[in-house]
Amino acid sequence: MFPSPSFPLTAETWLRVGPYIPVLLRGLGVNIQILLGLIALGFVVGILIALLEVYAPRPLAFVGSAYAWFFRGVPEIVLLFLFYFGLSRTFNIPVSPFLAAVLALGLRSSAYQAQIFRGALLSIPHGQMMAARALGLGPVRAIFHVILPQALRLSLAGWSNEFSSVLKDTTLAWGIGVVEVMRQAAYIRGRDFPLTLPIYLTVAFMFLVLTYAGNWAIGAVEKRLRVPGLETRR
Amino acid sequence: MRKALVLVTAAVLGLGLVAVGQRAPKYVVGSDINWAPFEWASAKGQYLGFDLDVMRAIAVLEGFEIEIVDMPFDSIIPAVVAGKVDIGASGFTITAERGEVVTFSQPYWKSDQAVVVRVGSGLTKEKALEAGRKVGAQRGTTGALWIEDNLVPQGVVLVEYETYPEAVLDLLAGRLDAVVQDVDPSKMAVAQYPGKLEIAGLIETGEEFGFLVALGDPKGILPKIHAGIAKLKESGAWDLLIEAYFGPSLAKIEAAWEKCISILLGEKNPLKYAQALLAEVKK
Repeated sequence: MFPSPSFPLTAETWLRVGPYIPVLLRGLGVNIQILLGLIALGFVVGILIALLEVYAPRPLAFVGSAYAWFFRGVPEIVLLFLFYFGLSRTFNIPVSPFLAAVLALGLRSSAYQAQIFRGALLSIPHGQMMAARALGLGPVRAIFHVILPQALRLSLAGWSNEFSSVLKDTTLAWGIGVVEVMRQAAYIRGRDFPLTLPIYLTVAFMFLVLTYAGNWAIGAVEKRLRVPGLETRR
Repeated sequence: MRKALVLVTAAVLGLGLVAVGQRAPKYVVGSDINWAPFEWASAKGQYLGFDLDVMRAIAVLEGFEIEIVDMPFDSIIPAVVAGKVDIGASGFTITAERGEVVTFSQPYWKSDQAVVVRVGSGLTKEKALEAGRKVGAQRGTTGALWIEDNLVPQGVVLVEYETYPEAVLDLLAGRLDAVVQDVDPSKMAVAQYPGKLEIAGLIETGEEFGFLVALGDPKGILPKIHAGIAKLKESGAWDLLIEAYFGPSLAKIEAAWEKCISILLGEKNPLKYAQALLAEVKK
């Protein structure tokens, strides 16, 4: 016979979640730190890779493509292990779990962000470059003063997608021992088994709020930077 | 002015070097903090448990510092091998297989496996483990290995879980017939579901737990651990800690621990700490 549900979600169960909220938020703070680190790293490296892929001569462009292929092709948890265990064992570099998580997830994100920036760079009409060169700008200055600013503006829609995706990826960091929100949830579950479902629902709600807030902020930036007639969303 | 600054800097650096030279060694202790009552996190997120308090007491007695790091059970031995962690303290059963990659301390705990079933399922230990039954265990634990070696050939289906609570939840949900796990965590699980779970019986595996360090103990940690355990046993603190940690409810232990831990870490008096902790949980 099938037993009755083992964890009924009564009001009493939910009340027991309350005292754990601060601990969960402390864990969520770590996720946000990883997020900020990885998205900044991914942004800088991603732009460099995109520029390489679009503008660099063949061999260098190939390096950019190979980089993107590697970091998009390897599962995240494998990247985490490679950076955490690999760096210290092979190269004798001491990396903390937190740093390894930021590096692995950040470089992975850079490969995805590079694709977003590459698409945006390619979507800028060639006439822009010709006009900039005709006005006397060198190729590098033309890219940084004319093409890239426009491309970044166009990237925002794709970028908000990447933001939502990597925000959730930060929960993988527990795999190498970063005590983030999923681990805090596991602690609670470990000492109070019946709270399993309510605790994970609470974590889900926290992430829903974060993705909403983040996408709202990116949307606001997008609106501000909009140039009539040159929107990505019509 | 600049010269003075350089001198001051040099002096500070020099003092720093001297201080580093004299400071007590610091060891990183790896533990999977999700296995009450050996190690778990309190409602406030503080790490406690028998293993951890024993390590803290040994550190006090033998004059070294420890940093307790939480990590997945599966990752502790790789981390010790990689030199990221100095000591593994997480209810490790001493096995020959593990002994090939790390070095164990002398055993500090004896354990058997318990078979947990649902109340009302009517399953005895023998019935719960017969051919065709689905039995859960935590991956990488000796319980899982035991089922694989002894029951799977006879037709028992082994379902492995990342953590012990997951196996218990699947048992409660009716997806498993039984869960095999060490006796003490099994008792904790049963206590959390009064009237829903029971221990059908024990499998006498006679396992022994040990702390573990890198292969060959290159840092010379084991002699300190052994000396510390001997002192704890001699003073009686060892038995008091066992009584405090194995039996009372987790909430009670947490409250007592929070009240008393400063005696261990501040006053550095393990015996007084163990006495106070036990008195507090008994209140």
